[in-house]
Parts: sequence; C-alpha cells; structure tokens
Amino acid sequence: MAKLNIPVESRTLTNGLRVVVSPDHTAPLVTVGVYYKIGFRLEPRGRSGFAHLFEHMMFQGSENAGKMEHIKLINSSGGVLNGTTHYDLTNYFEAVPSNALERVLWLEADRMRALKVDDENLRNQRDVVKEEVRVNVLNQPYGGFPWLDLPPVAFRNWANAHNFYGDFADLDAATLADVRAFFKTYYVPSNAALVIVGDVEPEEAFDLAKRQFEDISGGAQPATTDVNELPQTEERRGIVEEKFGTLPAVAIGYRAPARHTPEWYATALLDYALHAGRAGRFYRRLVQEQKLAVEVSGDTGDLIELNGPCQIVTHVFYKPEVTDSQILAAYDAVVEDARKNGIANPELEQIKVKFRSDFFSTLESGRGGFPRFGLLHYLACFTLFDGNPGLINTILERFMSVTAEQVRSVAEKYVVPAQRAIVFRLPAGRKAA
Amino acid sequence: MATPAPNPTRAQVPPLGTERPVVWPRRFRRTLANGLEVALVETRTIPKFTADLYIRSGNAVATLPGLAQMTATVARTGTSRRTSHQIEDALRGWGADLSISAGADTTSVAFAGLAEFARPLLDLVYEIVREASFSAEEFERERRQKIEGLRIDRTTPEFLAAERLRKVLFGAHSYADYAPTEQQVEAYSREALIAYYRENYAPANALLVGVGDFSADVMWKEIEGAFGDWKGAPPERAAEPEPPKSHGRHVYFVHLPGAVQTQIVVANMAITRRHPDWMRLALANNLFGGAFNSRLVRNIREEKGYTYSPRSSVHALRQHGFFSVSAAVRNDVVAAALTEIFYELDRIRALPVGEEELADTRSYMSGVFSLGLGTQDGIAGQLGGVLLDGLPEEYLEKYRERVRALQPSDVLEAARRYFDSPNAQIIVVGDGEAVAGQAALFGEMEKFDAQGNSI
Repeated sequence: MAKLNIPVESRTLTNGLRVVVSPDHTAPLVTVGVYYKIGFRLEPRGRSGFAHLFEHMMFQGSENAGKMEHIKLINSSGGVLNGTTHYDLTNYFEAVPSNALERVLWLEADRMRALKVDDENLRNQRDVVKEEVRVNVLNQPYGGFPWLDLPPVAFRNWANAHNFYGDFADLDAATLADVRAFFKTYYVPSNAALVIVGDVEPEEAFDLAKRQFEDISGGAQPATTDVNELPQTEERRGIVEEKFGTLPAVAIGYRAPARHTPEWYATALLDYALHAGRAGRFYRRLVQEQKLAVEVSGDTGDLIELNGPCQIVTHVFYKPEVTDSQILAAYDAVVEDARKNGIANPELEQIKVKFRSDFFSTLESGRGGFPRFGLLHYLACFTLFDGNPGLINTILERFMSVTAEQVRSVAEKYVVPAQRAIVFRLPAGRKAA
Repeated sequence: MATPAPNPTRAQVPPLGTERPVVWPRRFRRTLANGLEVALVETRTIPKFTADLYIRSGNAVATLPGLAQMTATVARTGTSRRTSHQIEDALRGWGADLSISAGADTTSVAFAGLAEFARPLLDLVYEIVREASFSAEEFERERRQKIEGLRIDRTTPEFLAAERLRKVLFGAHSYADYAPTEQQVEAYSREALIAYYRENYAPANALLVGVGDFSADVMWKEIEGAFGDWKGAPPERAAEPEPPKSHGRHVYFVHLPGAVQTQIVVANMAITRRHPDWMRLALANNLFGGAFNSRLVRNIREEKGYTYSPRSSVHALRQHGFFSVSAAVRNDVVAAALTEIFYELDRIRALPVGEEELADTRSYMSGVFSLGLGTQDGIAGQLGGVLLDGLPEEYLEKYRERVRALQPSDVLEAARRYFDSPNAQIIVVGDGEAVAGQAALFGEMEKFDAQGNSI
C-alpha cells in the first residue's frame, strides 16, 4: 500500500546545478521551483532576518529583467509565483501553463546568474519586510507564537536561536554589500536544485535547463556552518508578554532525533498520535475531556525540509481561570502515559492510515494555487539534503514500518523534561502561577 | 517607479510555446429522488477523493448571528450512533479529513479520504447532516470556546476591519453580521440549533460535489445508498431589506490601543457572480489590485514600501457583492496610503487602459483560472463554486474565451460602475492617538472601540 511509482529523473549540470523532473500530463501546467540550500538558520551574525530580506531582493531585478519585469512576465504568462524562506532552504517557485516553461527557466536563470539591485530597491524592500513583520507578528495577537518565541529559549547556538524574521536594527544595518556577498556565497548553481513537475517530458526539460542554466559559472559550494547544539541537561523556560490576546498560552518543545535515523521516523508517528487533529491525544484530553484548554495543536514542523536541530512542539491556549501549573500538569499526564505505554494498536494502525493518506495529499497540495507543489518541495529537499530525489517513492514505507516499540522508545528517550523548553505567552497583567 | 526599471532585452525573453488545450474533465451530474444534486468528476492523480456537501443555507438565515456556524460545529461532535471520539477515530482510520463550517449563504461539509474508504465516509457524513445528537455537553464546551475565540478575534485588525465593513455596507440586511457578539453566543440554545438544523439540512437544499479516484457510476450508487433515505423540503426564504445607499465618503475608525500598524479597507457595494458585468469587473479588479503585477501593488508596495500585502478583491455573496481595497500600512503613512489608493481608483475610472496592460491581465486571468485543473482539490473548488453560484457548468469551458474578448472599454465601464471612489466607505483600524488624525482627512469620521461601541 505504501509503494509509490512517481516518475522521477535527475541530472547534474556541469556547473553543479541539480535538475529533477517529474512528468505528469494530467493538465497543461508546470510547477517549477529553484531551491537554494540557505535558510535563516545560516544567515550571518548581526544580520538577523537577512536570509528573508534577501529573498525579497531576488524579486527586485536581475541582469535582463528589471524590477517588476520578472513578476509581470510570470503573471502575463498566466501564472503565479512566490518565494519563501525556511530554516535550511530558500525557494522560488512558479506555476504556469506549460507553454511558458522556457520563459520561467530563463527568468530563474537570469537571477541565478546576476542579480541587479540598488540601494533604492534595498530601502524599499526593507520597508516592505518591516510591514510583513508587523502584519504577521508585531500587530497580531500571538504573533510569532511559538515559532519565534521558542528557539531563543530552546537553543544555545546562535544559528538556531536567533530572531529569524529579523530585529529591525539588524534589517536597518543590512547593506548592498551584504546582499552581494550573500548572493555570491550561497546563490551558486552547486548550492541549488531546479525541480520541474508537470506537463513536460524529461528530455525536453533537461535540454531547456541546460540551455538556460549551464553557462552560469559554478562557484564553490559554501562552507558548512556548525548548527549543532550541545546536549541539553535541564529544562529551559521563558515568558513572553502577550500584548493583544486575552488567553494565556504555552508552548512546549522537545529536541527531535536526527534526520533519517530510525527514531526520526518514529517521531513523526508519535507527533501524529499526540497532535493530529481532534483525534490527537492532547486535544482529546485537554480540550474535550478536561476542558482546560480552548485550543491545542502541535507538530514537528515539516521534517522533510529540516536539515538541522528541530523540535516536536505542542502549543496550548488555555482558559484564563486555569493556572499555568494546572495546564502543565495536565499536559504532563498525557506525555507520561505515552512514555510509559507507547502508542498501541489500533491507534498506531489508524495513525498510519492517516499518515499515508496525508502524504498523498501533500504531494498534490493546495487548492489550485501551485498544483503539486508538495511533490516539488519534497523532491527538492531530498535532492539538497539527501542527494536522492528517489526517496519520494520509498520514504513512505519507512514511516509505515515503524513499530509500536519504536514509538514508545522514542517517547521515553526524547520526550523528557530535561530536554524540553517551555515558553509561556501571557496576557499583560497576568502573573505566572 | 521612482527609478525607471530597464526593460529586459526583449529578444532574450523566450516566447511562449504553442498553447496546449485546456480540457475540463467530464462531469457526471444527476439528482437523487429526494432532491440532492450530485456532481462527480473522475481523476486519478492520487488514490484519494475529495468532496464537498454544500447546504444552501448559512448564517444569513439563522435566528441569531453565527448560529448556523455553531450548528455546524456541534453537529460534528456526535450523532445518534457515534460519540465525538468514535467519529474522530473512524476518520483517522480511513485516512480522512472532515470539516464543517457555515458562511453567510452556505454550510459546507468538506471531506476527503482514501478512495478505498469512500462508502463508510459517506455514511458518516450522512449521519452528521441527518442524525446529529447535539449533546448538551459538547454544545456548552463549543460555546465557551467560541466566546474565548471571539475575544481574541476582537484584538485582530483584519477581523475588526471586516466586522465594521459589513455593518457599514449592509445596514439592516443580515449580511451586516460578520460575527456574533458574546451576548448573542450566550443566547444560543441547543433547541435553536436543532430547529435550524431540522429546517435547513435538507436534501433538496443541498449539492454534493465529489472529485477523485473512483468510477462515477460506482460512486453514484454509493451516494444513493448513503443519502437515499435523507428527507426534507427546502426551507422558505424571507425577503431581506435592501442595503443602504452610500452618499459621499465616510470614515469608520476602530480604535485598537497599542497597534503598531494600521489596517485600511476602502469598499463599496458591487455585484454578484451572476451579474452580466461580472467578468469585466473581475478583469478590472485583477488589473487594479487583484494580482501581484497590478497597479495597487506596484504603487504602494514596490514603489513606496508602505505595506507588505495590499490587495483588492471582489466579494460575491448570494444576494449582493462588494468591492474592497485593503492594506496594512505603517502608522506614519495612513494618509499617504489612502491618497494613493484614491489616486489609483480615480485613474482607472478616468483613463482607458493600454493594450499591453489589458492583454497581460487577460492572460493572467485565463491562465490562473486553469491552474486548478492539475489537482483534485482544484477541480472540486472550481466546479463547486460554479454550481453553487447557479452558473451553467459550461462556464468552466467558456471562461477563457470570455476573458479574451474583454476590451479597454469593459475595464473603464466596470471601474466607473463598481469602483465607487466618490462614495467609498473607509474603515481604519489602528491606534487612535497615533493615526486617527490622518484618517479624519478623508471624510466625516465615526469612532468605535473594539467591542463595536461608539466612542
């Protein structure tokens, strides 16, 4: 049941750019992504938020497509585009009618070859990014909770612990020279992957990729940055004041095991048992049965796109009359049960069915926006981090073969107080209790 | 732009290739004896299917604001045969997702799962729309959660702007109620939920759209088996008062103490998707501010850096539609941003668009309309939207040619009729001490607190 047969072909161009193609002729559409192995975890010290600011600069003009020309050429081809910055990667992607494929590749190659930006562009996008931070974090109830609140408490290595959206002083300090240096270091073909999904034959796609990208000079792969964390030996806690919202909230995160270890696969299923929807153990216990919480959710982040330290995180919004220690005690009871008894059948079998079903949905992903973006995203991550896009057809089996004992053992070993970080987000005026 | 951008060396931009035909998949449509309309599409992109059961009633016909939403929420928490836990365990074991929600006009039960478990999932959906138990315990729990949720909503700029906008545009019409007050939620009763459910959850008031890895003939039989016994006549609809006419610009200021950014919405009444002007309005909207490559985005984001996410939208409810321009801007440019928004509105109303800008927007619209074709969700969304709005299903096939026929005069006419700059209603949500003075420059101003009280 977990066997997949998604067609995937890949090549590496002479400059080191990896090209991956998955043909599908269901509709005359292609989704294209260029992924760079640089995310906010790796941005320079003193330049918090720079990887994301830089992502904005990639839309500000390249050698042959000036400001707004890139966007205009995609939109007027009948397509949509975006870029996003993550912990360990930054991606740029487009969905277009398949007759616009070469144009999309031309545009992506043009900005991989030579960014052409000036101080005015930088000032403009710095302003835009500040409004992005305000609309998503500073002017929203629970903005940045827990994704910006937890890392500084949980981690000690600056790479993992700093403000990824950027302190405004750091954004202000960024210069055009920083932009050029960052581009030169990280935006080289050998640090990137080009993925094309949809209505194209692989040979045609490779020819087009070669024509557009192969003359971009290679450049050395960037040096690896140390993102490791020392082992954690005691619980870490923090409190952040909530400026707008009316409910107390808490996030609890535990270190997750390393990528592709057997424990990593088991963690994904443990996460499902604890967090997946209204059947998840925390929702059931804290919201439905004990009625202490108003909302509970949690996850590990998208494990496939994380290439460094990460956490399995639960966040709880609880009723104002419930004390902080009450909610933690109720939370701990759920955790203790999982540590002691694991996740037995039929629960584990149900979870596997849901996991498999969700995996298929992820491959299609999105109501029309970027068709099959999920497939493209996974292919890119498997290429950049594992050197093996073929994992798309085999990885589901690894998740499906996790045993109840493995889940219990991962809970026992990783979900322990000494390895967790807790951040309360408390409305102004509420005393921690 | 302040610095004119160099044009790309045109010779280097690869031309578009030959367009491959866009073919919307065949629809299987039939109606059950009890009146339930069914539309099915076979597509085997993944071994799953996705479906939406739409009930053509929503909060606009409920006895209290938001009561249709609460009915939907509680309906999912238990049936005469299953407890909430049993429902959730069953869904998980079928690899299924189910969500149920009610907007102004429609209640939607969205469900998706592995193709192999289609029948038990259909049976569960039937139970939820026919045999929900409305347990007192679940109702009380959901009600409390709703109240806590509303308290947080009333600290959210987008919510406060939308809530005020609906009151301003719709007056005595039930579309004015974007969300209930806490007191209204307190006034909900289990009996009122059940009465709403009995009256509106009827097969002759419903549409089921299913897309996925199945044979339509087999799926039709499964649907007949699952929903054949559902009974009930469509509800009667009471007449609604007309929304008020606007005369001149007015400013409605919602004070959110401590806000470090200001949410702006400029809006006016427009039309529904069934109106003959809909296509030209949609085009005018995309050109104005609906796409990334649009005038509004170029101006207040890419030239001036006032905002991250400016957008204009056409909202089509069943009885009425409206047009809105929104942007969250930094506090010191509220007046500047409003000035630019009105500049762009007045410009598109006054001057015809050029051929290239028009052609670009036409291509954008016709391309983006077809992006849904590649996935089950995408097809379900487009088909559901067309059928729910009572449009002929050929709308899907004809859309592209209709877009391509639009001319500069269509944009001008649509903008003059539906971008009603002289009578626009302006909603501003921000810290009054920091920005109310700037907002007041644009019309007679009324001020409110986050609870909706005049201040």
